[in-house]
Amino acid sequence: MATRSLVAAWTGNRRREAGLLFPSLRRDVAFPLAGAVVLFAAFVGAGLLYTLMVEGASAEKLITAMFIDAIMVIGIQIYVGNTGVFSFGHIGFGAVAGYAFAIFAIAPEDKYTRIPNAPWGLADVEMGPLPATGVALVITLIVAVIVGIGLGRSGARSGSVAATVITLALLFFTHEVAASWNELTGGERAGLTFGIGDTLQTRTPIYLALFAAIVLALLFARSSIGRLNQAAREDNLAARAMGINPVVQQTIALLLSVAVVAVAASLRVYEIGSLLPEFFFFQYTLLTLVMLVVGGRNGVTGALLGVAVITAVRESARRMGSDGYEIFGLGLDGNLDWVFREGLPTVLLGLAMVVFMIWRPNGVLDDWEVDAWLWRRFIRQKPPAAAVAAPEPDALDLSASGVTVEFGGFRALDGASIEVSNREIVGLIGPNGAGKTTLVNVMTGMVDPTSGEVQLGEMGLTSEPSHSIARAGLVRTFQNLRLFSSLTVRENVEVAALMASVHRNGGSRTDIDAIVAGAGLWEQRNRRAGQLDYGNSRRLELARAAAAAPAFLLLDEPTSGMSGTESLAMVESVRSMAAAVGAGVLVIDHDLNFITGICDRVYCLDQGRMIAIGTPDEVQADAAVKAAYLGEAAQPGEDRT
Amino acid sequence: MLLEVSGLTTRYGSISALRDVSLSVGAGEVVGLIGPNGAGKTTLLNTVAGLLPPAAGTVVFDGTDVTGAAPEQMLKSGLALVPEHRRIFADFTVAENLRIGGITLAAAERAEMLEEVVEVFPFLRSRWDAMAGYLSGGEAQQLAIARALMCRPRLLLMDEPSLGLAPVLVDAVFELIAELRDRGRTLLVVEQNAARMLDVADRAYVLRSGAVVGHGAGSGLLAETDLFDTFVRGSAA
Amino acid sequence: MTELVQNLIDGLGRGSIYALLALGVAVVFGVMHLLNFAHGELITVSGYAAYAAFSNGWSWYLVAPLIVVVSVVTNLLIERIAFSRVRGSSEFTQLLTSFGIHFLVAAIFLMYVGARVQTFAEPGWIADTYSVGPVRVEVFDTVVIIVAIVTLVLTAAVLQRTMFGLSIRAAAADFDAARLMGVNSDRVIRGAFALSGALAGIAGIFWLMRAGHTSPTSGINPMLSGVLAALIGGLGSLKGAVIGGLALGLAEVMLRTWLPGGAAALTQGVVFSLIALLFIFRPGGLVNVAHAERV
Repeated sequence: MATRSLVAAWTGNRRREAGLLFPSLRRDVAFPLAGAVVLFAAFVGAGLLYTLMVEGASAEKLITAMFIDAIMVIGIQIYVGNTGVFSFGHIGFGAVAGYAFAIFAIAPEDKYTRIPNAPWGLADVEMGPLPATGVALVITLIVAVIVGIGLGRSGARSGSVAATVITLALLFFTHEVAASWNELTGGERAGLTFGIGDTLQTRTPIYLALFAAIVLALLFARSSIGRLNQAAREDNLAARAMGINPVVQQTIALLLSVAVVAVAASLRVYEIGSLLPEFFFFQYTLLTLVMLVVGGRNGVTGALLGVAVITAVRESARRMGSDGYEIFGLGLDGNLDWVFREGLPTVLLGLAMVVFMIWRPNGVLDDWEVDAWLWRRFIRQKPPAAAVAAPEPDALDLSASGVTVEFGGFRALDGASIEVSNREIVGLIGPNGAGKTTLVNVMTGMVDPTSGEVQLGEMGLTSEPSHSIARAGLVRTFQNLRLFSSLTVRENVEVAALMASVHRNGGSRTDIDAIVAGAGLWEQRNRRAGQLDYGNSRRLELARAAAAAPAFLLLDEPTSGMSGTESLAMVESVRSMAAAVGAGVLVIDHDLNFITGICDRVYCLDQGRMIAIGTPDEVQADAAVKAAYLGEAAQPGEDRT
Repeated sequence: MLLEVSGLTTRYGSISALRDVSLSVGAGEVVGLIGPNGAGKTTLLNTVAGLLPPAAGTVVFDGTDVTGAAPEQMLKSGLALVPEHRRIFADFTVAENLRIGGITLAAAERAEMLEEVVEVFPFLRSRWDAMAGYLSGGEAQQLAIARALMCRPRLLLMDEPSLGLAPVLVDAVFELIAELRDRGRTLLVVEQNAARMLDVADRAYVLRSGAVVGHGAGSGLLAETDLFDTFVRGSAA
Repeated sequence: MTELVQNLIDGLGRGSIYALLALGVAVVFGVMHLLNFAHGELITVSGYAAYAAFSNGWSWYLVAPLIVVVSVVTNLLIERIAFSRVRGSSEFTQLLTSFGIHFLVAAIFLMYVGARVQTFAEPGWIADTYSVGPVRVEVFDTVVIIVAIVTLVLTAAVLQRTMFGLSIRAAAADFDAARLMGVNSDRVIRGAFALSGALAGIAGIFWLMRAGHTSPTSGINPMLSGVLAALIGGLGSLKGAVIGGLALGLAEVMLRTWLPGGAAALTQGVVFSLIALLFIFRPGGLVNVAHAERV
């Protein structure tokens, strides 16, 4: 590819080379591991402290259950937090795993009493708990692959109803199968039971699984795949325009998440020692979702906080309901029987859900994460050396020819053609509604043309999916800014660079810091993109596009909403970015000062047709262009050529 | 002055789409609002109409401060907006679109207005029970204007009425604006087609980068500034 | 053949109730893009109201209108207390709010009335049948179908002919454009909740007649049926919701007849999965949301 030159300029001039999965060993592996140790110690410590203060078997059981819930909630968080797709069905995966585990792990003599006629001779199977967990894991993952394909096909994204329906269907389907397939599951009433003494006797496997889950969740969030998912969560369209295929990334997140859920479900069944369909249904879905939402679904720290808080609240409510309202030796005055009674824990769960949705939909901590905090707090970063301009790339042409687009009866583009080489900066102007953005949409695969073709060198790009086009080297910006707003400035650039290193630069890496610094955003690198002011947002969008190592940058109104001086400053930014990347530029803008200042050639579009091509001065002098901008009756004295 | 906007600022997140904009429209005037794409014209109309909350400044309509009022309140006080892209209800019949336009009126008054509006737009009668979605672009634009007139507005805001229309229909839209002017209506019109707008407007404001950069009477504005420059090149008038 | 006709009538009877529930879900979704998981709680609340009324010696003729009134008032209260505060939030914030309310209402009854199933007398004619040729028809199904048709015709008339109906449909089509016409957003949303509550109330009368009892968890099934049917119809499409309700009723009855013995209990799961497949292969439902049609 022509832009391989970018590699020469921006790779490896600092820091040790790390794998593609974890761009920085220190930040993406060492710190998350340290963070996991801190979180694990704090969470388990809090639980154990409670069992020291409140002795007795019921306190022990409560804390054991809390640890298992924590694994479950972290499992759900891996998917929901990173992809933003809300799943009601993870407890359904839990049901699959729980039954698989129970059926394989319960001793045959115990199975003969409940499910002697289990199909495929399952009643005779004898297996230890560990291999049974393995079997449960495999079976659940197979189900997850099927559900994942379905979610992908439905175009699941943050906020889509389809994902809600598909995951709910899973929850209900598994529940009904469990409740009605008596030969296999023991049915709705009897269920399955382990023999006395066959249940989980030690917390060791729980600790191991919990620690592993925390490590996995933190590492995943920092891994390339996690970051690509987060980008798609923030803005699906922009992510695709950067070359990310959200479906693939979401499916990976789903599998990992379901694996953790499957282990948690097995442990839960093993610990309780019995299994009924209702164990993995609405009530548990509510509990785990409330835990996830209260602390903050976008972070592992938040998820664990939610588990702890909700466990504490529920337990206090339950104890005061059953043992009278005295807790920790504190007696409450007056008759509070009307508050502390059966049903209170569920009332509190429902109330917590409603109150948090109204008050803080992103939870107490939102996406605050312990390892990221440690990194920001203790690691001083030095500004990088300036980037070197790329050597001239091989010549490459981008062309759209005879593009026509019709929306209903309205013809937005009418046989428009344009050609750009990767050594020039070409402007596209025209009055409002002329079809400029539509043309860029066609070239980037976001609108299918009624007729016409888009070509990059020898490659046909017409109607290809957006992410493939981005990978081929066409990267665009958007008229109305589409940043990944809750990711930091640096992460925005990093996501694009990740895609570039996989699909554009053959595995070698881009110096993200150099790009961030080059765009004048070094001081802002750790701020959320959503907090930037307008000018910096525009610069970030440009830097992000440049980091995707494009052969062509398609900029849709980079100066829109800027003052005259600001837009002149953009001339320099666009020029230097394009030179550093070695990319050709097609820029839509209304500001002719900007266009004159930056473009080698200019096209003018009016009512879907190209009405003028030439140098900026030629196009400005063109009578048809003036007429298009000012209306037919413009300047009657003007001579028309 | 019927409408008095002063120091209006509107933000989208951290982005100021309007900066300290002041303008006024007197009763019976047709005022144009021209400027390049992204200048904040639509934002201005939407803020005045109550669809967007202003960050600073005031909107005074007929002597009453209506800053930040909801669109339905603005409408009640006599200010209607024909929004960008028309936004007619495509699944409603023409008649239903008109009736919803007069929802704030009493039934008898509404019936009266229906008659009045049909007089201005005779073609509506022939398409009375047709789905609005099947109207042509020009017809749909006329329906959108007719719908806004249903509530007897004292000030009509129009956002890019000629956008996306074939040249013949653009002519029709400007003829309509002229006709409404002659009937004594007060209009504030955002238009891309600056020269045509200046022909029919009493006065016009030029908006750029969210700020007013020029103002004058129709023909005068054309004569005294190089409009093309102001408009497209960005050198302030 | 006889069995088929029998099933058709049975399915239409069920489907009519589902259609009323689904229409209520769709009306609310239309104006505020809320998929209301709390919709079934209207039946829980009115079920307990009915139980209380029966305990005081009321007859079905008095209880029936009471159910509708309680359902409307409850829906308006829920809107006022919770949904009005998440208006304009993301769809998931709204959805989870309704999910929370669903459990909250159930748990409040668990707390203050108890988990016990409260039974009341069904009307005497509920099991009566009459014959049309070889087909035996339940009086109940007949009444349900007639009432549902009358209700749907009335609702259609309200939505078509009145300014209130016009404003609800306008708000569902384009909320901001409707506000620009002077449609009062508070009033139209409250109106939608009231209409939705009334439809749930009428459905609730028959639901409770058939069930003959109420319990804290009795809202879950009507909620599922309503939401599922609205989903089949393509959420927000009012006509689609009615079709979705009838389709769901028929599908349930047919599946119950055709599925082999053990699998008959899977009806709901199968229907749910079919809907999931519908979303996978046709994300808009039976009637596309984008072309939400008129009633």
